[in-house]
Amino acid sequence: MDTQLSRQERMALANRRTGLFIFQLSWIMVFVCLTFVNLQIRGNFASWPPEGVTSLNLFLPTLATAGLLLSAFFVGRGLRALRNHQRAVFLTSWQIALGLGFGFVAIMAYEWLSVPFSEQYSTIFRVMTGFHAVHALVIGIMLALVYHGARSGEYNATRHWAVEGTTKLWYFVVVAWMLFYVILYIV
Amino acid sequence: MATISRPLPGAAIPAAKQLRLSDYLRWSVDHKIIGVQYMATAFFFFLFGGALAMMIRWELLTPTLDVMSDGTAYNQLFTMHASIMIFMWIIPMMAGFGNYLVPLMLGAKDMAFPWLNALAFWLIVPAGALMILGYFAGQAEAGWTAYPPLSTIYSLGDGQTFWAFALHLLGISSILGAINFIVTIKNMRPEGMGYFQMPLFCWAILATSIIIVLATPFLAGALTLLILDRVAGTAFFDPSRGGDVLVWQNVFWFYSHPAVYIMVLPGFGILSEVLSVHARKPVFGYRALALSSMAIALLGFTVWAHHMFTSMTPELRIPFMVTSMIIAVPTGIKIFSWLGTLWGGKIHFTPAMLFALGFLSMFVIGGISGVMLAAVPFDIHVHDTYFVVSHLHFVLFGGSVFAIYAGMYHWWPKVTGRMLNANLGKLHFALTYVGFFFTFFPQHIVGMLGMPRRVAVYAPEFQTLNIIISVAAFLLGISTFVLLYAMALSLSNGKRAGANPWRALTLEWATTSPPPTHNFHGDPVPYRDPYGYGTESAFRYLEDVDRRYGVGERDDDKVPVPALRGSGD
Repeated sequence: MDTQLSRQERMALANRRTGLFIFQLSWIMVFVCLTFVNLQIRGNFASWPPEGVTSLNLFLPTLATAGLLLSAFFVGRGLRALRNHQRAVFLTSWQIALGLGFGFVAIMAYEWLSVPFSEQYSTIFRVMTGFHAVHALVIGIMLALVYHGARSGEYNATRHWAVEGTTKLWYFVVVAWMLFYVILYIV
Repeated sequence: MATISRPLPGAAIPAAKQLRLSDYLRWSVDHKIIGVQYMATAFFFFLFGGALAMMIRWELLTPTLDVMSDGTAYNQLFTMHASIMIFMWIIPMMAGFGNYLVPLMLGAKDMAFPWLNALAFWLIVPAGALMILGYFAGQAEAGWTAYPPLSTIYSLGDGQTFWAFALHLLGISSILGAINFIVTIKNMRPEGMGYFQMPLFCWAILATSIIIVLATPFLAGALTLLILDRVAGTAFFDPSRGGDVLVWQNVFWFYSHPAVYIMVLPGFGILSEVLSVHARKPVFGYRALALSSMAIALLGFTVWAHHMFTSMTPELRIPFMVTSMIIAVPTGIKIFSWLGTLWGGKIHFTPAMLFALGFLSMFVIGGISGVMLAAVPFDIHVHDTYFVVSHLHFVLFGGSVFAIYAGMYHWWPKVTGRMLNANLGKLHFALTYVGFFFTFFPQHIVGMLGMPRRVAVYAPEFQTLNIIISVAAFLLGISTFVLLYAMALSLSNGKRAGANPWRALTLEWATTSPPPTHNFHGDPVPYRDPYGYGTESAFRYLEDVDRRYGVGERDDDKVPVPALRGSGD
């Protein structure tokens, strides 16, 4: 049932796209803000992590980050497939993306719980990863709900704003995480 | 010159559904109802915050504590006065104007996201409730800036936490509203209206919205950390545990300095509309006015640390001093463009125009004291004195509130369909202007003499000036009742306004007052230049609007009659 969008529907779609873009631009500033907070707090210490605090192990979070990047690829691949009438590819891609996203959240939950308490170093770590995890979880659940709807055939190549919207929100989760990953683990 | 023809008012226009009070008390997605909801709620908080201001001035009549039981009670008083006036009055009031006017000015049926729009308004209600409930939990007492450690270890009551949650809600409301404005302005302009044919009010709302979406998330970040420090045992602002109070100051001002432009830019937009319409002249320098709003929005992000001259690294003071002074350039462009608009105009001294002129004169004083404060040596001398209080009230009251009053008198007929009594309006203006000036101008002097802000007990030598200030403040308080009386009078038996009582060219006037549910009767066609007053074709366009939507009851010496200016006059 591939029908053309009416003028009003096109307008609504354009509004949603612009609106979501502005929202992403806006909300990423909270993550930028927390990045600044992290930088300013660490500026008061002679070394970071502070003396006596062991550095975080890079292996698991890097694995999680790689998985998250891969999930972004699969989410996008799914959206493109849906637009090209390849429903099966769309569903498999999102299945993989959901699995990878779940892996990311699980690993980061373990990291959150296992970081040893060391006042500023661990609290800012927990606030940042926790804040990000809330977004990953909420948007991940949205992704799962849309996937569930897609399985029962709610979306088609023309009408799939929910798919497009959650895809873009998941991109947001990934971009926000890249910012945090660099700040928390690399520099 | 053509004479005014008076066709049957509203001939051939079906009567709009009469709105009842209950329509304004429940969830609605009509941007006009939401706009009125915003404005009425904000006005309620204006009266509330004004009552608190009266108590502050009552306390300061004498140099000792007499009205307040102790210093804490006084701290709560000015904290709530400022928080309510900034976050519950000026910002929502401007959002109310934007909500009501932007879709109308663009010839749209509604905002881009009507449901989100309603949500943004209804977030204000619980926020206001939280703020007021703080009184039952040990009200916030750290000032509206909530600097730690005042807002953390020295604020024992839960009111400070309530305050932070309330601001969180208001921030989210602001962001949702701003997204809506940007999308509406970007996507929903009518055919033939490019960005540079938009009314300047829309430009101002666009610039404001850009600031809101980029700056308000910083407030969310700061408040989250504050709440965590207060309830979850973290120590981001506690130096004894490795935290840093400057984190709050930086992040808070990174939001709150741009926020002062959130509060005044819509006022600039109102001023451009009012001055042009009531001077019957095109705005001078349309592009300069439009783009200077954008320049202020962008520059506003580079000046936050000028609030921290006394607490920051000294090497950083000069750069922030320079950027702060540069802000005066786009603002100056606006002031001179407005003067150019007035120059040679046929000025009608309507209440709206009087308040706009009041804005021009008072805002300039606030702007000049702002440049003085931007100078580091001077700022260090008057930091945290009444000079700062004076400056901020000159820009917030002399600026934003005067603009709001101008806008109220200008658009009241559109919103209600009835005129406000012009004589009462003039009385309101006179009392407000005099009361305002003598409340806040002497504060420059007490500030420079060294009276600190935020104290209930002061040195006895400041008493004379403080009595003058308080008496003038009471006059200012009384002036509000004139407005309330005029509003009640207008609603009960004001003169019918007709569609376009000021004979304005922007689209909100090309429909009945109040506009019907979807705003226009058919697709509205904007006049090619929203400020093209004084031309033959504008005259014919206005005649056509009158013929189509009807004229109001007229009283020729109070309401400006149409005038042709320029070559053909």
